Amino acid sequence: MKLHKDTEKIQNLLGDYCRTGVEQDIPGITPGRVHHYRRLVYNVVRDTMDTAFPITLAALGEERWDMLVQDFFSGEQPQTPQIWKLPFEFYQYHANQETGTRIEKPYLDDLLYFEWIEIEIHTMPDRPFPDFSQTGNIFKDRLAFNPEYEIVRLEYPVHMHSAENTSELKGDYFVLVFRSPETGNVQFLNLSGLNTYILTRLVDERIALNDLKGDIAHVAGIESEKYLDDALSAFIGDLIEKKLILGFAKKTN
Amino acid sequence: MNGKVGIGLRRDISKEILESTVLKPNFLEFAPENWMGMGGYWNRIRKEAVEKYPVTCHGLSLSLGSPEELDWDFIRELKVFLDENQSSIFSEHLSYTKSRNAHLYDLLPIPFRKDAVDHVVDRIKRVQDFLERPLAIENVSYYTPVAAEMTEIDFVNEIVEKAGCKLLLDVNNVYVNAFNHKYDAREFIGKLPLDRVAYIHMAGHEQVAPDLIIDTHGQPIIDPVYELFEWTIQKMDPVPVLLERDYNFNEIEQLQSELDHLKSIIKTHWKVTYESPEGKTSSAEPSGVHMATENKDIT
Repeated sequence: MKLHKDTEKIQNLLGDYCRTGVEQDIPGITPGRVHHYRRLVYNVVRDTMDTAFPITLAALGEERWDMLVQDFFSGEQPQTPQIWKLPFEFYQYHANQETGTRIEKPYLDDLLYFEWIEIEIHTMPDRPFPDFSQTGNIFKDRLAFNPEYEIVRLEYPVHMHSAENTSELKGDYFVLVFRSPETGNVQFLNLSGLNTYILTRLVDERIALNDLKGDIAHVAGIESEKYLDDALSAFIGDLIEKKLILGFAKKTN
Repeated sequence: MNGKVGIGLRRDISKEILESTVLKPNFLEFAPENWMGMGGYWNRIRKEAVEKYPVTCHGLSLSLGSPEELDWDFIRELKVFLDENQSSIFSEHLSYTKSRNAHLYDLLPIPFRKDAVDHVVDRIKRVQDFLERPLAIENVSYYTPVAAEMTEIDFVNEIVEKAGCKLLLDVNNVYVNAFNHKYDAREFIGKLPLDRVAYIHMAGHEQVAPDLIIDTHGQPIIDPVYELFEWTIQKMDPVPVLLERDYNFNEIEQLQSELDHLKSIIKTHWKVTYESPEGKTSSAEPSGVHMATENKDIT
């Protein structure tokens, strides 16, 4: 490397100061000015986190939130050159550090992830859409799904209640998060465990609903076929209306 | 594109740029980092922008002055992005944005030192080779020198000369630095290799103390910066000129008036033709004052 060790050291001292705010003995600077670099650097990071996590910021309050951002930026080495992806590193950092447990906010990981996933689904690269037709039978024909979705599993129902009220509601919660093919907007749908099971198997095994009905009846303990058909019709109808199901898969898919 | 006036495509004004009848730039500048690898709504906006406007790209994260190795995975993605968007110019900052393998997301000043010159030159050459296009490096604003062993002008000139790269001349940054470090802006520009300038940036700034200006990109361009721009363009061939604005987008009409102001100055000194909003063209003969070369027809 052509850079001398002392130049590298000086550059790192300025970098350290910008990340931590802890004053460093940086040679050859104009007194009273270097703090602007810390201010500008930190403002960019803080603003990015405020924009990405407005619900968490409101739930934790300004002081504690700032502590989390400072802790992340001084403790982590941000790796992404694309700052809009930095909120994911922020989530990962605090999940790894078990910050939620430390500050007695057990829902923290879920809330951060829930807010991040909206950004991720909104911005993720386009996925190839299947060929589909608008006519078919929801039980007999394979359904064609909008591929731009994720099912998120949460321990705390931060998607249904204000975060502070979820601490006593630990359990298994599922949220369908998907991108509208028309507008690109992100939509959320609370899923029961059974509906998550149905959706996952339909997509993963590329089968028709009729092929799954026996298993669904068994898992859910449903004996009435009419009751099961009505419930499935309502669920699938809702997904069609919301454009998570686009139509019916063509045989070539 | 030479002599044309563009604006940075920011998400906050993307709708106005694509739909408004008020804001009419000649070209758009993308910060690749803000658009790379993105699908959905913003990908549609990007594609629409590329269909409607010529594009330049201005990088943020290459970190040419960093001690650590260049991020080649990122540069590979960058090359794809530049090709996809048919970017006519790719520019980056003469600064560093990464330290101890951590991104800092702002522009830190490289120490003006000989070893830093050699280090940056080597990196610019390798990036240019890989991207298969020249890099235009931007003179950045800085608020304090750091352990300098040479002057800013010698630092910039030596890098441009040794790397064989182009220069993005940020006129506002020269104004800001001249004010902050008490030197003469015209003298500084006069010493730059103006025949290497591929692109000009213009922007507003904010004075935060009697002796300090911060380069904010959040305010309108002030008259002394327009005057410095006018003085500068008389000494060089036409190049694309960009209005940088990162926030405070309340007044779209005001942004257009800044574009118009830049065009009116350009038309006085460079032979250039602009499409008017009605599809008619307007042009003016340059004054011919101190042109670096013969006037050229600009398309």
